[in-house]
Amino acid sequence: MVSAGLVDALAQGLVTGGIIAAGALGLSLVYSIAGVPNFAHGDMITVGAYLVLALNNPAELALVPNLVALPFAAAAVVGIAAAGVFGSAYEFAVFRRFRGKDADLITMVIVSLGLALILRNLVVFLVGSKNVTYDTPSGVNLNVDLYLTGNGLAVELTRRVRGSIQTLDAWGYGWPALVAIVALAFAAGYAVYRWRRGDAGFDEVHFVDPRIWGVAGFALVAAALAFALRGGAFGVADAAYSTRVGVSRKYGLILAVMLATMFCINYVLKRTKTGRAMRATADDQSLARIRGVNIDRVQLVVWVLAAVLAAVAGALLGWYSSSLNPNMGFSLLLPVFAAVIVGGIDSPYGAALGGLLIGISMDVGVFLLPTEFATYRTAIAFVILVVVLLVKPEGLWGDA
Amino acid sequence: MALSDFLVSLLTVVGVYTLFGLGLNVKYGFTGLVDFGHVLYFMIGAYVTVVVAMPSGAADYAGIGGFALPELLSALPLGGFIGWLLAVAVAMTAAALLSLLVGVPTLRLREDYLAITALGVATILHSVVNDEEWLFNGPFGVREVYQPLGGAFPLSLGSFTVNLVVFGLPSVLALGYVAYRVVRYVRPVSRDAALFTVAGVVLTVVGFGVTTLGGGAVVAAGAAVIAAGVYAVSRGVRVAGGFGRPLALFAALVFALWYLVMPAVTDSPAAVVVNLVWLFDPTTGANGAVTYSRFILLLTGAFVALAYLWCERTVNSPYGRVLRAIREDEDVPEALGKPTFKYKVHSMMFGSALAAAAGGLWATHIGFIDPGQFTSSITFFAFTAVIIGGTANNKGVILGTAVFWTLRTGTRFLDDYFPAEYATQLAALRVMLIGALLIVILYYRSEGLLGEQTYDTGVSPRGESSD
Repeated sequence: MVSAGLVDALAQGLVTGGIIAAGALGLSLVYSIAGVPNFAHGDMITVGAYLVLALNNPAELALVPNLVALPFAAAAVVGIAAAGVFGSAYEFAVFRRFRGKDADLITMVIVSLGLALILRNLVVFLVGSKNVTYDTPSGVNLNVDLYLTGNGLAVELTRRVRGSIQTLDAWGYGWPALVAIVALAFAAGYAVYRWRRGDAGFDEVHFVDPRIWGVAGFALVAAALAFALRGGAFGVADAAYSTRVGVSRKYGLILAVMLATMFCINYVLKRTKTGRAMRATADDQSLARIRGVNIDRVQLVVWVLAAVLAAVAGALLGWYSSSLNPNMGFSLLLPVFAAVIVGGIDSPYGAALGGLLIGISMDVGVFLLPTEFATYRTAIAFVILVVVLLVKPEGLWGDA
Repeated sequence: MALSDFLVSLLTVVGVYTLFGLGLNVKYGFTGLVDFGHVLYFMIGAYVTVVVAMPSGAADYAGIGGFALPELLSALPLGGFIGWLLAVAVAMTAAALLSLLVGVPTLRLREDYLAITALGVATILHSVVNDEEWLFNGPFGVREVYQPLGGAFPLSLGSFTVNLVVFGLPSVLALGYVAYRVVRYVRPVSRDAALFTVAGVVLTVVGFGVTTLGGGAVVAAGAAVIAAGVYAVSRGVRVAGGFGRPLALFAALVFALWYLVMPAVTDSPAAVVVNLVWLFDPTTGANGAVTYSRFILLLTGAFVALAYLWCERTVNSPYGRVLRAIREDEDVPEALGKPTFKYKVHSMMFGSALAAAAGGLWATHIGFIDPGQFTSSITFFAFTAVIIGGTANNKGVILGTAVFWTLRTGTRFLDDYFPAEYATQLAALRVMLIGALLIVILYYRSEGLLGEQTYDTGVSPRGESSD
């Protein structure tokens, strides 16, 4: 009998990490450019998730008019755009005014706290505090069962149909093939990395970091080889180690959306004039102003982007966990802050990596710990946060 | 329930949260430490006090505890009370040590790191207390709360007349003193402003009266009259050239109408007398008595008075001057050779100990504690109260907490006029208004009602030392 194991926890953690990364990316932009440690970010995630819900499944909401019920994908696009409007509202109604008064960091913290109270209770006011779900087409859950045997690695693709497990497909890799796949993929990844960083210099800004190219090359070559070198199935009765990984289209889509979002943010930051203005503002606001950067416009863009990213995280979180409640964002606030601080608060890229790290640690940690510790998922994120603060307060990828 | 019972209960809650807010003011107001986990020490204080004072083998309790400190000391005169005080002291020490653990890793870093770390510790320890039944009985809470001197109450001195004189007279004198102070404060207000304010009070009260009659159109008319009343008060504020005196007049008049006039109209003149001698409950026992809840109020008052004096003495000392210097710019006291990190740790421990004392009183007042009472909103409410009253002002904490909890409790009456299924909505609306109030006050009057207090620095304006 195969059961879910470490590899499954890793896969889950990757998805959780992607969601946290989206939240962390927005928080980190606001933190570094607007200078606000935004305690309302968790509730911005909630608001985004519920905006999508209002378009997708309004029957769940008490005080919201039951007008349209779009398919989830369309509702997500419109709802996330609407969240951007909310983002501009935060900037115009609250943060621009306080910036005009030169409010200090502590005041900004407390103002964002007030906004958090307003947003969370606005959701409770309109929706109530019960758990609700999106109306989404039910996905197909597949299991990838991996068996480590004397002959090599056997793979079975199974799915559960009416209580019994049905095998869809099975194949295997002998030890030589397995070693070849790993070695070739590793070599290819390293080669891509060397090729991309060939022009490295202190004045060269890579659009996509060579390390990411390296990882992408590794993953692509490994996938291609794994497809090309697959051999016939062999007996798995004497498997030394077996593990089951649950996969579904949903997880794949969530990861794809995350990658696309990060690519877009990367494009905005590195290839557009606004993005350059944003990075300049983060470095030195006065200097940027002197050089003709319209600070107010930059801040508006930052808040809209942050609200959009929060809404992406919220919609994906609500979809992933199949439940929404008014506390969903606030309970994600701690992991998101941990991701930002672990990654270094001035670095959006660090925040994204920190999000993945925190997400994977949370799910793998819960898997490794005894079951009675399952309620302390957030505590794992927090322990990482404190250790990083003690050892390397500027963050793992920060340069402060 | 007589209005005096309600007043006693409200004042006790205000007292407990004042103590809590004084602790927060030490951290946030005077030292500039944004401790979003302040409620943690409140929770620790409540649980440790209860657990240390609890007799062993309590029913329906699976957690650690049963140290029965009051019973151990019961041989001494007032032994039970001393045991309870010791339990509070243990709780304060525990909270101070815990805040030391939280503070050491975070206080060297930027102030926003403390905010998130403190919030994190509070959230996680809250879930530990909620999930681990072996610790403090988990979600089922603790029902076995020791009541210090509980056996002595209701306290009666014999005949009704003696009771009335001994307990009633101080109550009337206390009310009279408050009235005298309010009158002295309000007197300089101009006649026009006073007239506007009185008109505002009349309109508001009439509006509420009309609203209670019910019916859609009537409610709308009542709301319009209330709006007119609010407008009149705002005119009064403008005419007076300051909001303090008209608002004090408004509050005093509304209180007098609610507490003294309304019972005379709806009940009987005797009810007014019952309200006047608020410390004495004529309906308990044969000869009337001082009830236990009134004793808790006095106990809370004593704690608040002690804590207030302690805080005043601290912030007016050279030590408090260093704390304020750290708040303004940490590099300056550091350059003058002050160990600022140590000062910040002290401030955390001091503030947390006060929060723990508040927790011990809270448990005694409520008589039952469970993790649901210690959510992080309590911290945020305390921040709001401190900011309303005036950050870095100990009197402001008292005023701000009183205003905050009076508004919050007072608006609960409005729930009666809405169908019961909207209770969640109304609660959410209240917290939304609190958030909005926080932002509005920080924007328009960041110094709060009273502003930062003045300090007795021992230096006269001419620069000579006065002592």
